[in-house]
Amino acid sequence: MEFGFDNGPHLKDKDHTSKIMSRLLMALTPIIIFAVYKNGLLPYLEGYTNLYGMLKPLIIILLGVLTSITVEIIYFRFILNKKDNLIEEVKRSYALFPGLFVALTLPINTPLWLVVLGSLIATLIGKLLFGGLGHNIFNPALVGCLFVIASYGALIGARGGYLNPMEIDTIAGVTPLTNLSNINYVGTWSNIVKPFGSLRDFLLGFIPGSLGETSKILILLSFIYLAVTKVIKWVVPVCYVSVVFVMTFIIGTMNNIDIFYPLFHILSGGLLFGAVFMATDPITSPTTRIGQIIFGLGLGLLTVIFRFLSPYPEGVLTSILTMNMLVVIIDKIGAKAKFKKGYLNISLIVLLICIITFSIYIGYNLKSNTNKVDDRFNIIEIREENNKVIYEVTQKGFKGLIKANITIANDKIIDVDITSQSETYWMEMENQNYINRLINKQDDLENVDVVSGATISSNALKAMVENVLADYEVRK
Amino acid sequence: MKKFLKWIMDENPLFVLCLGMCPALAVTTTFENGYLMGLSVLIVLLFSNIVVSLISKVIDNHIRIPAYIMIIATFVTILEIIINTYVEPLSKTLGIYLPLIVVNCIILGRALSYASNNKVVPSIIDAFKIGLGYTFALSLIGLVRELLGNNTITIMDRISNLTGYIMKYEIFPSNSVIPNQLFLSPAGAFLTMGLLLGIINALRREDIK
Repeated sequence: MEFGFDNGPHLKDKDHTSKIMSRLLMALTPIIIFAVYKNGLLPYLEGYTNLYGMLKPLIIILLGVLTSITVEIIYFRFILNKKDNLIEEVKRSYALFPGLFVALTLPINTPLWLVVLGSLIATLIGKLLFGGLGHNIFNPALVGCLFVIASYGALIGARGGYLNPMEIDTIAGVTPLTNLSNINYVGTWSNIVKPFGSLRDFLLGFIPGSLGETSKILILLSFIYLAVTKVIKWVVPVCYVSVVFVMTFIIGTMNNIDIFYPLFHILSGGLLFGAVFMATDPITSPTTRIGQIIFGLGLGLLTVIFRFLSPYPEGVLTSILTMNMLVVIIDKIGAKAKFKKGYLNISLIVLLICIITFSIYIGYNLKSNTNKVDDRFNIIEIREENNKVIYEVTQKGFKGLIKANITIANDKIIDVDITSQSETYWMEMENQNYINRLINKQDDLENVDVVSGATISSNALKAMVENVLADYEVRK
Repeated sequence: MKKFLKWIMDENPLFVLCLGMCPALAVTTTFENGYLMGLSVLIVLLFSNIVVSLISKVIDNHIRIPAYIMIIATFVTILEIIINTYVEPLSKTLGIYLPLIVVNCIILGRALSYASNNKVVPSIIDAFKIGLGYTFALSLIGLVRELLGNNTITIMDRISNLTGYIMKYEIFPSNSVIPNQLFLSPAGAFLTMGLLLGIINALRREDIK
């Protein structure tokens, strides 16, 4: 007798395939509708964009789906030379999902040609060149997304990045995770969560983010639906999210940050979307139960490491792709661990040690970062532009950091441009024109009166100006 | 032309034998780097093949690998000194991969498997066949990577103080195409390499049929 070896999924009868497809689509429909509502309809109703802006999220999603279906049809027809049952063949290889997921993981401001390119790369390189459905080692959609983000990230960022037309006007700057990495990962409620509303907004999805990832509540609902109907394996997302929770909880506690910190980490970025829809892809995730546990734990560990220790604040995309490479090994361990409990114990102990060590290491390192901030004054960058010297500096104020660009020309400060601050009593200082007073009296700073009601903030600003002038003197 | 292509593609070190991948991935950021690296390998291969085929009878079988390495290293050192003296910018871009030709498995492989068993003239022909094939492969990868990653084709830039010309062309109008920086990074090198390998082997298979 001969044993056949083939890659999963093994259940290939027509009924089952179409059922999985329709259930996945059903779970994704509310997310798509919300993406269109949040990024298109809402800004349109509030008057921030025109008709094209309203339809843009829908266009991006449709374009992604159309591209990947077209690529598969062309590939099957002209390269594999399949003539009969073409539609059936394309349907059976889940042709629409790579394109759909690429569109959902891209930011709203992605140019349309990039959506087409990403979808093309996802389907062709991520899936078809590996041999089609069941043979690809990497999640196709993530391959396409990584290609676009890695090579054209700056282009998308210049067009507004993850912010929809309404958020560009109402929220200053960036996504929650980028904001977190900008303030060195430690802070308080007021500078981590407050700029984007409350955790309820995070849960409902009214924060900046890529098209599909924002509405956590809808993702959770579709996770429950998919897990109950057994389309996806519930083990992977649960392990993944709980590891991230535990690790960020340890990191947060070490730095005296409240319980909102781990919740913030779970609810921001593409973590839930990736955990539910990407990490559970039947082809690129382990098939054994024990393997799925290891896979989930590894994903959580990698995500936290990438978020804290790499310059890219997201981490979900890269960690899923990295773990995809290890699926074969993980499945081997999982298959052996069924009969020998030693395998399971050893791998779990190794992972747990890694999780604890890395969280303590990261937490400790962040602490030393905060100590550095406690020196209160910090120079980020000094630029020289046509006879002007521009200092980009931070100073610790009443709450969090005050960031400013200070321009010096002819040995005098001519401009103090505050780029970000989170002071409670900032309005008082603005009302009294405190910054202009500082600039006018910069030779006699000691006699500048502080603003009553904002003593600490105004002293911090004064100290910042003093520090910059002192540094400039030394450098001259 | 077709015959020539078939001749160098028949045992192409990069696309068929998959040898010498390291410089192929590392230095081929421009067309110029690609073909100059290929030519350096060709020169070393030519001389080492000649010498090895001449003295292979004298060398004892037990110590032939160290002996051949010595021969190759001699020529690589000569080449490196010459390039360092006359075209310094080139030696800066090729960097460590120039002295690393010593351990390039193409050269040692040809010395062991071909030149040591053959006479001088076939060895020279073999060196040209393999060396030109390698040059062709490297310049193809360099061409694709530079075109996609930088929207230019550099024919003469690093060696311009030797030849007196700078030949660097922009292919597409610069405001209509945004080059993809990924192709200049190592990841792009792997991607280009893999795709070219696939396409060329698909074409070869059809040809053999």
